[in-house]
Amino acid sequence: MSGGTTTRVDARGGSLFAGSASVRALVYVALAALLFGFGAIAPTHLASEFVLRIGAGGLLLGMLALSVAFLMSQAGLVVLGAASVYGGVGYLFAIAMSKWDLSPTAALLFAFCTVIAYAAVLGALIVRTNPLAFMMLTLAAGEMISHSVMLEGLRDYTSGADGLVVTFKGAVFGMTAADFANATQFWPIAWSAAWILGFAAFAVRRSRFGAILRAIQENEERMRFSGFGTYLPRLAAFVFVNAIADVCGLLHVLNSGFVSPESLGLSVSTNALVAALVGGVANSTGPIAGGVLFAFAQDQFGAHGFTQLLTGLAVVVFIVLLPRGVIGGLIEGARRRSVLSSKRRRTA
Amino acid sequence: MRAHGVIALLIANSLALASLLIMLSSGLALIYGLRDVINFGHGALYMLGAYLGYSIALIGGFWTALVVSPLLLALLGIAFEYLVLRPLRGRSHIEVALVTLGLGIILGQALIFVYGGEARGVDAPPALAGSVRMFGLSYPLYRIFLIAMGLGSCTALALWLRFSTSGLYVRAVSQDPSVARMMGVNADRLSLLVTSLSAAFAGVAGVLAGPYLSVDPGMDVTMIVNCLIIVVIGGTGSIAGAIIAALLFGFVQVAGSVFLPDLAALAPYVLLFVVLLIAPRGIGRGRAPA
Repeated sequence: MSGGTTTRVDARGGSLFAGSASVRALVYVALAALLFGFGAIAPTHLASEFVLRIGAGGLLLGMLALSVAFLMSQAGLVVLGAASVYGGVGYLFAIAMSKWDLSPTAALLFAFCTVIAYAAVLGALIVRTNPLAFMMLTLAAGEMISHSVMLEGLRDYTSGADGLVVTFKGAVFGMTAADFANATQFWPIAWSAAWILGFAAFAVRRSRFGAILRAIQENEERMRFSGFGTYLPRLAAFVFVNAIADVCGLLHVLNSGFVSPESLGLSVSTNALVAALVGGVANSTGPIAGGVLFAFAQDQFGAHGFTQLLTGLAVVVFIVLLPRGVIGGLIEGARRRSVLSSKRRRTA
Repeated sequence: MRAHGVIALLIANSLALASLLIMLSSGLALIYGLRDVINFGHGALYMLGAYLGYSIALIGGFWTALVVSPLLLALLGIAFEYLVLRPLRGRSHIEVALVTLGLGIILGQALIFVYGGEARGVDAPPALAGSVRMFGLSYPLYRIFLIAMGLGSCTALALWLRFSTSGLYVRAVSQDPSVARMMGVNADRLSLLVTSLSAAFAGVAGVLAGPYLSVDPGMDVTMIVNCLIIVVIGGTGSIAGAIIAALLFGFVQVAGSVFLPDLAALAPYVLLFVVLLIAPRGIGRGRAPA
């Protein structure tokens, strides 16, 4: 381990910011703030509305991928039913407004909380099982939700295969339905949400809770022997990732103004999985960038009707050949290069 | 219709559905027992079997299809073993499962590309086209054939596992892979056998499904979800559990569509969550993954 310490000292000694750690942290925060501000404003001036729309869709997919990636990397569990939360919250939002006359904000809160409650109940049932069964069960639960909106008995609420148009009067968080639908106005919201959720996932990962999750993933029995509960942390993680997907689904419905059975379909879940695999699951940046990459790739290939084929190919290629994903691979490569160069410097 | 007539029909229909499910889910459970891998592409294999059956039946008739399609699927199963399962042996089971999911999507999309998006109907062969009167009820002959095939393959599987040497080895590896390997059981060779066998069964199920259900682009997802539910209910990896779960599933599905047609689509999921609530590991004695 002493090698690692030397490397870090060397790297710091050779870096531009030779000051104390707190100065360095300040510089990072400033850089992040700059990047955040630039990313929120610049594209709305530089990019066409079409590109902005795809970009925002990519960010939404990326956030959904973040939820998949978080559980995958921290708990070793793969969710194949992300779409049920993503589309389901949209349905609830629409139904709460049209059928129960809730105000848009109240409907939003209702939809959010109902999905959280659903995730808690579902999680309570399925996080006890082994990872493979968990994967199968999330797929089954997702299919259950997508079947239930097609039920004849709920047709008055869900309109079956036709889907629902979601409009609201007044404003939610100071924005009208038209504002949300406007690509230029929606981009900064999606961008900010991606940052907030990304940081939330980052913070949880770095917390004691994240450490406990990873330890359970590593060896559940050992954790139980050490006096840790292994059930509640995993349940909490499941609810947490569903909260991410929940926010993401609400943003989606506010932006598109429409929910349909397609938004609940297995292809949305597998696209999120692919976006996570493309970006790499180990950090917050990867899945979000993966989502954006995937959205633009889908735009290229979608014209030929091969979107799902692309999804299938990407799953196979990224798991077999690039298990860390593009972003994860780049970070890993950069790290290896910096270690190599510092070693070279040391030997010189 | 009298009450016991309804019950007899209900049982016959659920057996017919269960027959298909048994062929598919016992294949899944067998592969899981040997490789700890759930083949998420199994639904696509079934769909391939159905479309191949459709094409071959157009040329050579139903009976040729029932023989040739499973044989082709068995070859694909061998390729799957050599090209996917063996090279990825060192990877985590979740990763391999995801690869099978991806391959399943590719196969499904390729089939849609070749055959287009609309559903296709397959006629039952002339010998099985009519219906018979049993217990004062008229019942389609083809479904009786389906039930006979399902129960027949189920019995053959049970006999093979119980009385043959290779069946003994399969049970040994499923129960404890490391001890079985230490005793000199060649798990790779068994896996080759089991993978091609379960792919062939998927082919049989696909061809049989043609005249019973329809051959359509969504059949792979529907079937894999049903089979996964069955495998979980049966206790992951337990073959007896999978068979019982398939019978239960067939009954719940059919009874649901008779008594609660509005909610029938949800019946399997209700069954799944009820079983999970009572027995989180399923009803059979599956093995926890290594």
